[in-house]
This record gives sequence, structure tokens and C-alpha cells, in this order.
Amino acid sequence: MDALIVIFVSGIVAMFIAMTHKPLLVLATALVGLSVGIGLMVNQWYNPYLLFDYNGLAFGRGEVIYSVAAMTFALLIIAGGYSYFKREPEHTGEYISLILFSLTGALCMIGYTDLFMFFIGLEILSIPVYVLAGSKKKDLQSSEAGLKYFFTGAFATGILLFGTAWVYGATGTFDLRELSNILAEGTANGPLLYIGILMMMASFLFKVGAAPFHFWGPDVYAGSPNIVTGYMASVVKLAGLYAFLKLFTYVFSAASDLWTGALFGMIVLTMFVGNLSALRQTKFKRLLAYSSISNAGYALMAPMIISDASLFNLWIYLVGYGFAVIALIVISLIVNDDSDNIESYKGIGRKNPWIGFVLVLSVLSLAGVPPLAGFFGKYMVFSSAFATYPILVILAVINSGIGVFYYLRFVMVALSSEDAEQAPVLKPCILQWVVLAICAIGLLLSGYITL
Amino acid sequence: MELFAIPLVFALIALVAPKSKVNYVGLIGAVVSMVVSFIHVANFSPDQYVSVFAPDFILSFGLTFKMGYDGIGLFMVVLTNVITTLILLSNLNRETAHNRAFNALVMLMQFGLLGVFTAMDGIMFYIFWELTLVPIFLISYWFGSADRKKPLMKFFIYTFIGSLAMLLSLMALGTYSRSFAYEDLLAAQLTAKTAFWVMAGFFLAFAIKIPLFPFHTWQPDTYTVSPMAGTMLLSALMLKMALYGMVRWMIPIAPEAMDALSCMVITLGMIGVVYAAVIAIKQSDIKRLFAFASISHVGLIAAGIMLFNKDALAGAFIQIANHSLVALGLFLAADILERRMGTRNMYDMGGVAKLAPKFGFWFAAVAFASVSVPLTSGFIGEFLLIKGLYNYSWIVGLVAGTTLVLGAVYTLRAYQISMFGAPKMEAFSDLTWNEMLTFFIIMLIIVVVGIYPQAIIDFVGPSLDLTIETVKGTKVIVQ
Repeated sequence: MDALIVIFVSGIVAMFIAMTHKPLLVLATALVGLSVGIGLMVNQWYNPYLLFDYNGLAFGRGEVIYSVAAMTFALLIIAGGYSYFKREPEHTGEYISLILFSLTGALCMIGYTDLFMFFIGLEILSIPVYVLAGSKKKDLQSSEAGLKYFFTGAFATGILLFGTAWVYGATGTFDLRELSNILAEGTANGPLLYIGILMMMASFLFKVGAAPFHFWGPDVYAGSPNIVTGYMASVVKLAGLYAFLKLFTYVFSAASDLWTGALFGMIVLTMFVGNLSALRQTKFKRLLAYSSISNAGYALMAPMIISDASLFNLWIYLVGYGFAVIALIVISLIVNDDSDNIESYKGIGRKNPWIGFVLVLSVLSLAGVPPLAGFFGKYMVFSSAFATYPILVILAVINSGIGVFYYLRFVMVALSSEDAEQAPVLKPCILQWVVLAICAIGLLLSGYITL
Repeated sequence: MELFAIPLVFALIALVAPKSKVNYVGLIGAVVSMVVSFIHVANFSPDQYVSVFAPDFILSFGLTFKMGYDGIGLFMVVLTNVITTLILLSNLNRETAHNRAFNALVMLMQFGLLGVFTAMDGIMFYIFWELTLVPIFLISYWFGSADRKKPLMKFFIYTFIGSLAMLLSLMALGTYSRSFAYEDLLAAQLTAKTAFWVMAGFFLAFAIKIPLFPFHTWQPDTYTVSPMAGTMLLSALMLKMALYGMVRWMIPIAPEAMDALSCMVITLGMIGVVYAAVIAIKQSDIKRLFAFASISHVGLIAAGIMLFNKDALAGAFIQIANHSLVALGLFLAADILERRMGTRNMYDMGGVAKLAPKFGFWFAAVAFASVSVPLTSGFIGEFLLIKGLYNYSWIVGLVAGTTLVLGAVYTLRAYQISMFGAPKMEAFSDLTWNEMLTFFIIMLIIVVVGIYPQAIIDFVGPSLDLTIETVKGTKVIVQ
């Protein structure tokens, strides 16, 4: 709760500081706010004491690690995207504070203890992202992305609310603990509850971009400014998947027979749709979008397993994924190509070996090559699911094999030597170097964290 | 620990070393690493197990980080270090040697290989196994010929999918075992059916890497388009990982499935021996020819390993060393020809032996070693393997025996067409000192082992006995 307030306040302060037209000051405010927030959250791990406390939010150890990851990603994104934000000094403050507000929502979605708080968190998370997606106002695609995301997102929210209402109707409570008790007793079981759970699941899967609710994904990812795409792929996905895990794996576990069957089918569909569609993409962000769809499929295998370990497995998966995506997005900012073709990455590994190194690292991590973080995430999720759902794991492994194809093609383009002469000379600013370095270290080492 | 640290340290040094001297950085790294492994050999008695790294914690998912070596492991470690040194030595004057990334990648590759041969934990083995894939891919991709894209893509995807099958097997094993430590995996009790699938997963990974017929289709193209050092790394070291993996991991972990799979693997190996040799005879591209020759030779080794008796395994290890050295020599010769004649087509070559007598001599020596004439290491290795296969079934022994005849046909034919006849060019500069030295060391080891093969047999023997014992001691559970 303390961290939440700090981040929200730093967002407001950043917005007002922006009136001085000094982008650097805005950036500093945001970074300080986020650092303090991360510090408070880490302190929470060792010393569960809160200055402010509120019933609707509770930050146990699981919430702490997810919050720290979300705040770190937001920090990296703001720092890495600064060169983009400051191009329009009059809007810098808006971008940065919108990201901070959205992060506040993400933290609510991570720490919620009742469905009401969860809904508020989801809205606080989503509305700034709708705005950010359409923030390139003179760009048709960006406007399309914002509008599309808003309409479909609002629709999904409606379904979520509807589902929540059914669940409330069946159980008479919003509180997670009471909900799980009532479900365990089995007194409320019946169509009313089941329909509610399935509706909630549909809207969750929409938020994380799982098939068959994925159609917004590629368009929104491709149309949004790159940095917003990175934010959606890392923080939004992290918050959405954790909220899903918390609600379904730990609260609706008594009804798991009902939703695991449906989820099983949708995971299979998501993996195949994501990977097969990604094979023929020629645009970088669309590739990233389909890759993120297939990654959502892998990640959703963690909530399938009703066990305490799932929480950590999902975390390590999402952390590896987040670092890789942020590194790629920052590289795409450095390449700075409006047409967004994969071809424009030609030869940058030759021109600038360090950027090439980070790019190869992050793409291979996405592909799941050891000893990078992506491998450990995949390994943890797959191996914990293996005992219960061997078929699902085998399908997922087949999909990883398909995935290598397009990841490798991207690596080959980036490293190709033929066109190294025409490759643009890249001049990343110092902040972007730092972000890339942090991502690279994260990709190399975060797989070895065990809690 | 210093066993692994040295290549990594030198990989980092190579990244910052001045360009004119970076070729020596790589070479010195390999030599230092080789000397260190010799020190390990000196302090080692063949029946012991030396733990390199064994922290007393287990990660939550059963990863134990255990590393160590016994006779087999140390043998492969020494082989890796010697071969890497020879590769860098022979490559010393090539333009790739002056590239920082190249030297760093070779060192990284060496690090990965050393890890593979000393990993005593299933997941560690998998991690190092995959770690080797990235540097070799990058070496071949950055420095390979212009038409490299498609073959390398095929190579990466092929081997990666194979490895994923191995990962599935490991995951399945993990559900039966406390941790992924080697002894825990050995102790895991599998039913015959589970063991079959576990072994099949491992087999797919290894068969693709070796490569066994019909999983070999990536190999000739990849060998052809890779730069010399890449081809050498692939053929002399990378495929040895898979042969080693069969002895160390695949068979001891799931011995229950031996009966079901050994017949199939031996058959595939035999098909590969004949099939690849016949194709090799018809090749005109000299690098491709040696690539197919490689398939033919390793098919025999893989089949011998599946017999899993002491003689055949000892033969397999001698042949592993022999094949590494011979492949190194042949691909070096192929590269010298290609580089100085500007073509890989044998029919455009000729008369080289007259113009470059030293090269003619050393190439002939390696060619004879490849044909396994007596007094070379190949003779005793192939003899033991064929003897074992003959005891298994006389038909198999007969087919395996054709490798000697067919091997002589394609190797000597290649030598004759490229080296003899009317000279097709004015001048052919003879061997440089480093190439000569490489050939000399290769032949020295081959002849020493050929005269005294017992050295290798004694070195790996006790560990092999132990492994065979565990395999024989496993009872098959009937469901």
C-alpha cells in the first residue's frame, strides 16, 4: 500500500512538473518514485509492516515479488523510452505519468483481496493504456489501436463485471478468502457460479491475449507506440496473469474440474495460433504480438497446476519474458524505423555488436535456449505441469520447436553481413545502454533465482 | 573449477584484445586449458571419480549443479582441449582468426563442451548441451559461405527440436527422481514403457546430433557452408557429445529399454554406414565427401555403443578420438585445397602432390588413417567395433565390415583425383608452419594410439566397467 501511494503521488507530481517543460525533471521524479516504491516493496518482504493499511489490498510474499517485477519493468520502460518521450516535450509528463497511473492499477490487480478491488485495479490499469495506445495522435494506426483496444477492452470488462455479478449472486461475497471457503464447502455450487467463473475466465484471457480472444492483440501491438507495446507485453501481462493465478488457482481451486478443462483447450489453441501466425510475419511488432500470444499460452500452464509452486513458476517465466521484451522494444526504439519492418534490423549486429549481443540474448531467451532466463521459466512451468498434463506439455514443447523458426529468422536478419553497409548507425543514449545492460544481466542471471 | 574458468576468461580477454594479436589469445587459451587438463590426468587414477563442483544445495526444481569426471569424462575433456587447440592452431593464419568474436565464440564453445563432459546433473547436461549450439551456430553464420542461411536454419531447428525431446525425457525422469543428480537419475525405477519413451527422447536428440541415418539431412549442407573451424568443431567435437551422451546418459538411465531400441539403432547405424559411404563415393565436392564419410564412420560407432559391452565400448572411445583427429585432418586438407584452388570440386583439382609435396605427404597420411590401415588408431577402433557387431549377428558384422572397403574407395579416390594427375594450376603454395604442425600432431597421436591402444582402454576401462555393471544390474519391472 505504501509503495502504491508513492507511485501514484510521483505520477501526479510528474504530471505537474511537466508544466515546467523540463523533461529531465519529469523523468527524475518518475525514477525516484519508482525506486522508492521498489525499496518499500522489498522492505515489505523482510518486514511486513505498513504505514497505511487497507482491507482490500494485502501484500504477502507472492504479491511482493510480482509487484517488484512490475515496478522494475515500468522503471526500465520509462528509462528506455525517455528518448522517445522527450521528442514532444509538452507531452512527456503525460506519457510518464500515465504509465505510473497504470502501474498503480497493476499493483492493485496484484494485491487485491476482494473482487471489487480487483475490478478497480483493472480499470486503473486499462484506461491509461487505452490513452497511451492512441497517443500518436496523427498516426492512423495508433488511433485505430487506441480505439480498438478501448472498445474490445470495455466489452471484456463488461463481461468480467457480469461474471462477477453471477459469482456474487451465487456466493454472496466479494472477499477472496470467504469465496474460497464457500467454494470448498460446495454450498454455492451450481450453474450460477459456474457461468460466473467461465465469464470471468473469458475476460481474463482477453486481457492476457489468449486465443480465441486474441484478435485485438496484433493490431493494438502494431499500432501503439513501441514503448507502449513493451509496457503492454511486460507489465500488463504480468499483472493480468498473476491476478488470474491468484483468483483461479487459489480461490476457484475447488471448481478446478470446471475451468481447467476449458483452459486446457484454450492453451492449446493459443499456442498454435500464436506460433503458426508468427511464422509469416514481416513486421517486428506484429511478430512480437504473436510471440506474446504464444507466450501467454505457455504462461497459462502455470495456473493449471493447483500448487503453491505455481506462483513462483509463473513469476520466473514472466520475469524472463519481460526482460526479453523490454530489451527488444528498446532496441526497436534505437533502430527507430517507422515502417517497423523486420528487414530494417538487417546487419545491426554487425554495425553494433553490443546491441546485437543483447538482441540475440533476448530472442534466444524467448525461444527458450538455456542458460537464459526464458529457458528456466519454460522449464519450471512445463516440468511442473508434466505430471498432471503430459499431453499439454508435449504440445507445448512442439510449439517451442515451431517458435524457434521465427525467432531464429529474426536473429539471422539482425546478424546478416550482406547488408551491414546499409545498416543504420545507431546511437543509443546512455539511459538506453543502462536499460539494455540491466536486461542482459537479468536474462543471464534471473533464471538462477530460487526463493 | 579452473577447468571451465580458463576458456571463459580467455573468451572475455579475446573480446578486448587488439585485433592483430587476438588469434594468439585464442590459441594460448586453448593451450593453457589443455595443459590444465593434462595436470588433471596426471593426478587421476582411472578407477576414481573426481568431483569438480558439488554444492550441497538443491534448487527447488531438482537442479544440483553437480559436476565431476571419471575416466570417460576426463578422456572427453582432454580430447576437447586437444582438438580445440589443434583447430585454433590450424586456423591461426586464416582471416577468421583475427576476429575477436570468433575467438570468443570458440572459447565459449569449448566451455560448453567441457561442461557437457563433466555435467553430473541431467539439467546441467542439458544446459551445456544447448549452450554449445549457440556459439557454433554464430561461428558458422558469421563466417560461413554466402549460401549458408538455409542449411544453418535447418541445422539449428533440427538440433533444437531434438534437444527439446531430450528435455521432455528429463522432465519425465524428474517425476520419478528426487533430483537431477546423476546417481538419483540412475536410481530412478522406471517401468519398461516409461523407459522406452525416456530413452526414445534422448535417442532423438543424440541421433540428430551424431547424425544417424535418417536424421542426417542437415549435416552435409551445414558442414559444407560452415567455415573451416566451424566444420571442425561440428565434426570433431560436437557430434562426440552425442556419442558420449549415449554412453553416459541414454543407456545407463533407461537400460530397461535397451532390448527394445538396440536392434533399431544398430540397424540405423548400419544403414548409415553403407548409405553414406555410397553417397560419398559419388561426390565431387570434397567437403561434402568428407561430410558423408563422417556419417558413415559415426554410424559404426553408434551401433557399437548400443552393444554395450566392454570391448565394443573401448573400441568406440578409441574410434571417437580417432574420428576427431581424422576429421580435423581431412577438413583441414579440404580447406587448404579450397582456399588455394578456389573450388571445392575435385575434378577441377589435380597434380597438387607434385607442386606441394609436403601437403601431399600429410594429406596421404591422414587419408590412410581415415581408411584405418594397421598401426593407426582407426584400425584398432574399427576392429573392436566390428568384432563386437559380428558377435551380435554375423550379418551386422558383415555389413559393418564394408566400411573398411568403402572407406578406402571414397577416401583414396578423393585423394587420387585431387592430388595426382596433370597439374591444373601454375603454383600451389605448400603448407605453412602451423598447418604442418597440426598435421604432425594429428598423425603423432594417431600412430601412438595405433601402436599402443591399451593406453586408452586402460584409461576409460574402469569407468566403463562400472557403467556396464549398473546397466546389467538394473532389473526390468514388468507392469
